[in-house]
Formats: sequence, structure tokens, C-alpha cells
Amino acid sequence: MAANLIWGAQIYLGIGAVVALAFLTVGLGRVDAQARGVWVFRPLLVPGVLLIWPLVVLRWAALEWQAGEGQGRFRPPLAAQSRAALVLALVIPAIIAGALAIRQDVPTDAAAVQIEPPR
Amino acid sequence: MSVTYVPVQWNRNKWVYDAVLLAVIAIYIAVFLRLGTPEVTRPIDGAILRMRAFGTCAFFLLTAILCIGPLARLDRRFLPLLYNRRHFGVLTAAVAWTHATYVYGWYFNFTPFNRLEALLSSSSAFGQVLGFPIEALGIFALAILLILAATSHDFWLSFLTAPVWKALHLLIYLAYAAIVAHVALGYLQDAENPVFVVLFAGGAVLVAGLHAAAWWVGRRAIDAAEWVDVAAPREIPEGRARIVQLAERERVAVFRYKGNMFSALSNACAHQNGPLGEGRILYGCVTCPWHGFQYRMRDGRAPAPFTEQIPTYVLRLHEGRVQVHRQANPPGTDVAPLVVPMEVMG
Repeated sequence: MAANLIWGAQIYLGIGAVVALAFLTVGLGRVDAQARGVWVFRPLLVPGVLLIWPLVVLRWAALEWQAGEGQGRFRPPLAAQSRAALVLALVIPAIIAGALAIRQDVPTDAAAVQIEPPR
Repeated sequence: MSVTYVPVQWNRNKWVYDAVLLAVIAIYIAVFLRLGTPEVTRPIDGAILRMRAFGTCAFFLLTAILCIGPLARLDRRFLPLLYNRRHFGVLTAAVAWTHATYVYGWYFNFTPFNRLEALLSSSSAFGQVLGFPIEALGIFALAILLILAATSHDFWLSFLTAPVWKALHLLIYLAYAAIVAHVALGYLQDAENPVFVVLFAGGAVLVAGLHAAAWWVGRRAIDAAEWVDVAAPREIPEGRARIVQLAERERVAVFRYKGNMFSALSNACAHQNGPLGEGRILYGCVTCPWHGFQYRMRDGRAPAPFTEQIPTYVLRLHEGRVQVHRQANPPGTDVAPLVVPMEVMG
């Protein structure tokens, strides 16, 4: 299971590296006027492309095909943030209270046992 | 608000901000290593102490980051702390990464297996609360912190669009909950030092309380009418705005300037959705309180050579009150300001 997870992560990052190479050398200048002819900041974007390359590919494709987002670009996810903040405010105390409730204090009257090293 | 991208947009304030952050981190680590848990009975325990120093440091840094947002919404005096918060986040991710490397390099250093495999398979008791694999929670939170740090450059905001970028960065809440569980089910279970327990629980509950308070204060009623009431003209301070909720995800900022002139713009800055209605009018432009992006009052366009645009709205004076039409104009649309007669202004 662990080996499969690592293998999957390596495949994911490998594809991300290919996407990063293509996007940062060819695609970036095509979809963002502020990036045309500017190279010095591009290495900073490599980790981001590696980690979220599926989102990069989707957005790159949308921009290549001129799929504008219209007014949606200016509508902040205020409702989602407000609800997420409220959920966080409820979850945090619950986690701490739960953790303290199940905490098992070490019995102080237990005699210490000297553990022998293996022979 | 740059014509072309640069690696990092430095200015004097950001240098000072980052220098203070680095100094705080360095002092915290030094003090923790000096006064930390007195378990250093053998040299090998130093690795565990350093691991805890960086781990707790990352937790308290993230706690501070998460306090800044609601504090700024509750009290405008905290707004300057929002500036450069992205550098704060990147530093926190670096500290958390250092913590993880100590865990990886110490607890799994002598395994006969692949160290990563050993880390991922060292505990698999996902079905129980006590003894839950806290490593998984830590890896999950670290992955989110790395994604947020890696996508913190201005390019990502422009490329992904502000709503998508903001939604992605809401994952910070999930990361914080995972970190709280990581500590609560891990170190908190056998911590004998009450100082840490109090600081940990106090910090986490402070984050929860501030977010609950900001949510409560931020609730606004939504008027469904075509023309939405804003305020009497004199109720809006000169050079400032009144914010009105038009829909669940839409707010308009109605500004007063030059005494009796009024203009309405989207409350969301095109840069990072900062609250323009909390900004001031400087040199004839509204200035975002978060990062200083500016827009002209009439058409919502950033002054040349910048290219950002935001939607505008139509205003009218009705029965002595300023009203805004709920339909937003396309970004950059020129709208003549509402000029309220001086006799109405009073």
C-alpha cells in the first residue's frame, strides 16, 4: 500500500514535470501578457505546477480557447469562506475537547521497569 | 499591480515585515531549545527537541496567520498585518517542512526498509481515535501548506482568477484542523508540561473564537429589490464607502467624494478580492486596503499603465436616500457619478 502510494506520487510529479516544462516555456507567454519575455520569475512557478498540474492544464486549455469567466471573476467566494470559517470554529474546540477526554494519564504509582537491551 | 511579473515584490515595509518574522522564528527556536522540555538526558534526544521546536513554531505561526484575517475584519487597526501575509505563509511552510525532515530523519533513519515506505506504513490504525496515525494528519497538512506556499506568487492569482485562487487557499482551514488533530492526538496525549497544553489549546480556541466572531459580525441582510437602499447621503463619510450586500456572493461599495459626489464599485478588488469598501480615496482613486491596488471612481479601471478592471453600478437618489441598482455593469464601464444637490446634503 505504502509502496503504491509512493509510486503514484512519483507518477503524478513526473507528469507535473512534463506539464511544467511545456507550460513555463511555451504556454505561459501565450496566456498571460504580463509574463511575455519575462523569464526570471518562472523557476518560482515550478513547485506550483508540479503540485496542481491538473488545474494548470484545465486553466491553460480554457485560456487557449478564450473561455472567459465574465462577471464570475469578480464574485468572491464570500459565502464559502464564511461557512468554512464557521465550521472551523466549531471543529477546533471539538477536536481539543475530544483529545483531552480520551487522554490516558500515566499511572504514577506504577513501578519503573528497567528494559534490558537485546542480546 | 505590476506591468510584468517579478520574482518577489519587495519594498521597505516588506523587508521590515519579513525581518521581524525571521527574528521571531529564530528567537522562538533558540528559546525552545534552551528552555524546552527537559528530556535531554542523552545526546540523541536533541533531535526530538529540535523536531518539537520547529513543530510547535509552525503551529503558533499558523495560529497567528489565521488570527489576522478575522482580527482585520473586526477592527480596521489590524489591517496592516494583512500586508505581506503571503510571505508569512511561505515561512510557515518552510518551518513545517523542517519539522517534517526531523521526524523523517530521526524516527525512520534506521529502518531496514525504504524510509518513505516506513513512514507511511508505520501506523495504520485509522479505525481508532486513540492511537490514530498522526503522521498521516501531518503529511496531509504539510501537503496543503506546500501547495499554498507554491501558489502564493501573484501569477497564480491572475492565472487561476481570484475566486479559484481564494477557494484553493481556503484549504488552510482544513490544514489547520488537521494540525490541531495531529497535535491533540499526538503530543498532547502524553504532554506533562501544562504550559504547552495551555498555549496550544488557547491558541486554537482563539482562532475558533475569532472566526466565529467575524462570521457573526459579517452577517448582512440581503435586499431583493431592483434598487437597493444604501444610506442617506450624509451618512456616508467623505472619502469613505458604505458596503451593501446585493447577493450571497456580491457586495457593492458606495463611495462619497468631493463632498456630494457618489460612485459605486464592486467591493472585491481584482487582485485578491480585498474589501475595497474599507479602503480610502487617494489621488482620485479608491485604494484597496490590502495591497494598494487603485481604481478610478467613474469606471472602475486601474490608472495606466495598469490594466485591472472591476464592475461598476448605477446609483440614484430616491426620496432623499442613495440607492444602487443591483445589476452590475461589465468591468470598466463608465458611469457618471451621482451628484446630490447641496440642499439635500444638508
